[in-house]
Amino acid sequence: MRLAILFLLLPWIASLSAAEPQPSIKFGLTAVVVTENLRLLDRWSQYLERRLGQRVEFVMRRSYREVLDLLNSGGIDFAWICGYPFVQSRDPEFLRLLTVPIYRREPRYYSYIIVHRNSPYQTLNDLRGRVFAFSDPDSNSGFLYPLALLSKHKESPETFFRQTFFTFNHAETIQAVAEQVADGGAVDSYIWEYLAAFRPEITKETRIVKRSPSFGFPPIVSRIGVKATTVKRMQEVLLKMNLDPEGKILLSEFKLDGFGDFPPSLFYDIRVMANQTRKVLSQLSTVTAP
Amino acid sequence: MLNPRSWPLSLKFSLTITAVVAGVGFMIGAVIVVQDWWRFHEVLGEKALLMAESVAVTAPKAMLRKDFWTLYLSLKNITSHSSVEKRQSQAITGMILDAKGRVQAHLQPSKHPIGLLFSPSDENERHLLETALSARSPSVLSGGELSRKGFQEGVVPLFSDQKYLGVIRVRLSIGQLYDKAQYSAVTVLAMTFGFVIIGSLLGAFASQRMVKPLTAVTLGLEAVGRGDMAEIAPVPVRQRDEIGRLSATFNKILAALAEKKTLEEEATMSEKLVALGRITAGVAHEVNNPLAGLLNCIDTLRKHPNDPELIKRYLPLIEQGLYRIRDIVGSLLVELKVEDSDHPVSAAHLNHVLELLKLEIGKRDIQIVWENQVDEGIYIQGTRVQQVVLNLLKNAVQALPEGGTVSFRAIHEQPYIIIEVSDNGPGIPAQYRNQLFDPFFTTKPNGTGLGLWVVYRLVHGMGGVIELGSEEGRGTRFRVVVPTIKIGSSPDRVGRLPCEG
Repeated sequence: MRLAILFLLLPWIASLSAAEPQPSIKFGLTAVVVTENLRLLDRWSQYLERRLGQRVEFVMRRSYREVLDLLNSGGIDFAWICGYPFVQSRDPEFLRLLTVPIYRREPRYYSYIIVHRNSPYQTLNDLRGRVFAFSDPDSNSGFLYPLALLSKHKESPETFFRQTFFTFNHAETIQAVAEQVADGGAVDSYIWEYLAAFRPEITKETRIVKRSPSFGFPPIVSRIGVKATTVKRMQEVLLKMNLDPEGKILLSEFKLDGFGDFPPSLFYDIRVMANQTRKVLSQLSTVTAP
Repeated sequence: MLNPRSWPLSLKFSLTITAVVAGVGFMIGAVIVVQDWWRFHEVLGEKALLMAESVAVTAPKAMLRKDFWTLYLSLKNITSHSSVEKRQSQAITGMILDAKGRVQAHLQPSKHPIGLLFSPSDENERHLLETALSARSPSVLSGGELSRKGFQEGVVPLFSDQKYLGVIRVRLSIGQLYDKAQYSAVTVLAMTFGFVIIGSLLGAFASQRMVKPLTAVTLGLEAVGRGDMAEIAPVPVRQRDEIGRLSATFNKILAALAEKKTLEEEATMSEKLVALGRITAGVAHEVNNPLAGLLNCIDTLRKHPNDPELIKRYLPLIEQGLYRIRDIVGSLLVELKVEDSDHPVSAAHLNHVLELLKLEIGKRDIQIVWENQVDEGIYIQGTRVQQVVLNLLKNAVQALPEGGTVSFRAIHEQPYIIIEVSDNGPGIPAQYRNQLFDPFFTTKPNGTGLGLWVVYRLVHGMGGVIELGSEEGRGTRFRVVVPTIKIGSSPDRVGRLPCEG
């Protein structure tokens, strides 16, 4: 009988708790993670909610730029972005490095230049006059790195390739190359390896012709202006994820070892490369970004 | 049996019903299949157009941004979606071309890379490309009609602010449609075949029922034609329609015919009795006449046995009377007489009659024209034919006045021999012609009236015919046609004369 009353009260209790003003933490995601794996993301958000005692809402946008705009406007509090947008100069600065994922024991990853398995191309130079797929204009591995390679030879994508396009998603860049819509593409090594494990039928169709030097892994940043306690708690939860079993399982599914506390200087290489490339390209007096 | 005109009516009826059922079945089937085909064909075209149009919603912006990936994905999504949802139509290909015909997106990207001119090697394809590039409103193109390789293509031109950007082409295969049409054609064919079998069985049954009385009437009429009245059973009358009335009428006719035949048989019998009576009377009369004289003579001779004068006068009279009686009896038995000695002889033997004819003429002034054109190798029943010819010639000579001409002519016309005996005498008066061959009919004072009767019986006995042509004052001509004999066979095998009746 008591149980029945409890059941009758349940909806009321639920509506009470829903009515409680509980601001959710908004977490922006970009193409640096495989955003198609929605169930894993759900479980991660639930994990974070339990640890933080606060609702966590993942916000996904098509491009890095949109996520950055949301950060700037205060629409989101945290975001998992790429090293390249992190090092871009902003005035005033609204980002702060929160933590960097550790991938294969290092907070580092690469850019892969990939071609179709059956294509004759062996180097980036073979792709002259071909169709090339970039991931995102604000992506380090998917755009800045190949741009830097071309700029070393005083070339721009417009002069070097016949056509280029952005997929705004590393996974789709791999797909574009696998389906031969593009002759070559530049992708995040983490995403390529992730897909190689979970959807090998796509990566199997591609072949890596060049691996970049290592770069700082796409970091998680917080917006300047988010309550310090929230930032602190988020950082702690992420840093300790590899210490509890549930977090470990999630991390293993993300193919990550954990999250680490690293200085912004980790992304210094990217900053140097971005500056050099911008210089060369402005000399070529060609606008690269779409 | 190969000639359809001689097929039985029941077969023709059922064949007609079968043909009608098959024809109607095939017609309806063909109409359904063709209609289905065109309807689905049209639907497929509309579907291709719809697919192209749905891509066209977002395509212009993506084209302006050179967002090839979005273009490709929109093409790919729309076509892969359709082929999963309904396997009925499969996209063969889809492409987005810019105003100059350069590939912006293609479903076979490896064969048609972005940015290059779309240049098919096939003549038809090039023509379709030109049509597609010149289209300024959404349209449907068809190609490779009526084969598994056929397709329907939706063509939607792309505009941005009325500027022509390019064209979207989405091509759907009619392969499955073709298979479906083939399947339904086979189904219709099978169904029609089934209907034809059922229809022809029903038709055969119905026509059998309908035609049965007709068949009975026909068989009956055939029997009437043969004269087998005994074989004919009355046709049962089941219905009151035309066939029923025909059967009833036929039965009535049959009854009437049977009655007529009985009457005829009775009449023939009485005619025979009459003829027999006449012959008996004739014989009695003819024999009686000389008998009276003979008895008279004998009576007189008995009264005066020793009068040589009387003996000298009466003996010849008695002899003459007895000869006459012998002649009459001989004529009556003519057939028996000739039968014993009758064997095939060459037609050349007819010439012996000429000698007898000359004897008959004696010293009278009568010309003879003798013409026997029959070869030696032709055989006839010699004695009978000789007797016929002699009788006819004798008649002619007796009818001729002094200075007349009698002529004989015999020709051979396989398998007959035709004999003509003619004279230029006074001719036979018309009123006598009907009784000419009757026994004891004579116009001569001393004639027996049996000569022509004998001729008739002999000719008839040989299976021949005799014709009379006579004109008063100009002469008479008898024409006798009798079959020849093949040596070693009987004359009966030669066949009956066509003009005999």
